[in-house]
Amino acid sequence: MKVWLAILGVSAATFLLRASFILFADPHRFPHGFRRALLYVPPSVLAAIVAPGLLMADGALDVGLRNPRWIAGILAIAMAALTRSAVAAIAGGMAVLWVLQWGLARL
Amino acid sequence: MNLSKAEFVAGSRAVAPVLVGTVPFGFVAGVAAISAGMTPLQGIALSVLSFSGIAQLIAAQLIAVDSPVVVTIGAAAVVSLRFLMYSAAMAPHLAHLDRRWRTLLAYLMTDQNFALAARRYAEPGDTRHVHWYFLGGATTLYVTWQIAVVIGVVAGAQVPASWSLDFAVVLSFIALLVPAVRTRADLGAAIVAGAVALWAAGLPYRLALVVASIAGIASGLAIEARHARK
Repeated sequence: MKVWLAILGVSAATFLLRASFILFADPHRFPHGFRRALLYVPPSVLAAIVAPGLLMADGALDVGLRNPRWIAGILAIAMAALTRSAVAAIAGGMAVLWVLQWGLARL
Repeated sequence: MNLSKAEFVAGSRAVAPVLVGTVPFGFVAGVAAISAGMTPLQGIALSVLSFSGIAQLIAAQLIAVDSPVVVTIGAAAVVSLRFLMYSAAMAPHLAHLDRRWRTLLAYLMTDQNFALAARRYAEPGDTRHVHWYFLGGATTLYVTWQIAVVIGVVAGAQVPASWSLDFAVVLSFIALLVPAVRTRADLGAAIVAGAVALWAAGLPYRLALVVASIAGIASGLAIEARHARK
């Protein structure tokens, strides 16, 4: 039930934002300061998701060698920056993670 | 062939190169829904209704840790704020269409569709049928996306946890983050947001994401303001 509510709410939110000016509001009333702030939404939100995903394990900061995720993540960032390809970053990062996990299991 | 049909076909063709990125991303979004504990039906419903990869991934992340519904919706709304900009930019071009058309195109608007349609509207000449071009690209993308998500949902349910497919979700955010960092202010925003997210990780209801995002946005604006003064 809770999950269905979240699904409906997320879908309504994305639709209302898309429809905002196309259906409801006058685009000339879009404040300039807000527009500037929106520019920093992608780097901020994405970094706020990526950092804990790489550097935290079981709710605590973990930058040791037993946590292969941050190493795979840094290499994926480098691959994304060099190749500009999302596919390369995702496939490369997964490959690095698997190699490291396999190696750690044999230590 | 009439003009509307020609525009529709041209739009479908224009979106084709983008599909190379859409398929793996949709696959990951499908996997993420299953890793988060959603049923296959829920994963597909989220995708069909919201049609937004980033919102789907965020929702999956927050549903996975059993966040309150309000936080999940709020976080998905924050990452979707860019749609406000797209909507404002598209509105004047679509103003002559009836409500049904505008509702449909708003629902189907994504980053890629928006970019293609905006480019087409900027071209000189008759733009009266360009909404068909928009619809052609959007429909192609929609169908491809949903197929990729369904494949991800099916695969996600089969693959054992030891494969760490959930990490593909973090990697897909990296693939979005890196091209989003173009200026020094973007970089500052990202570093501050990442640091605050780690520092605030103990906050309840996954509020760290909200606090860190606001800190990042404020830092970006502050760095930009300092540069402008020099």
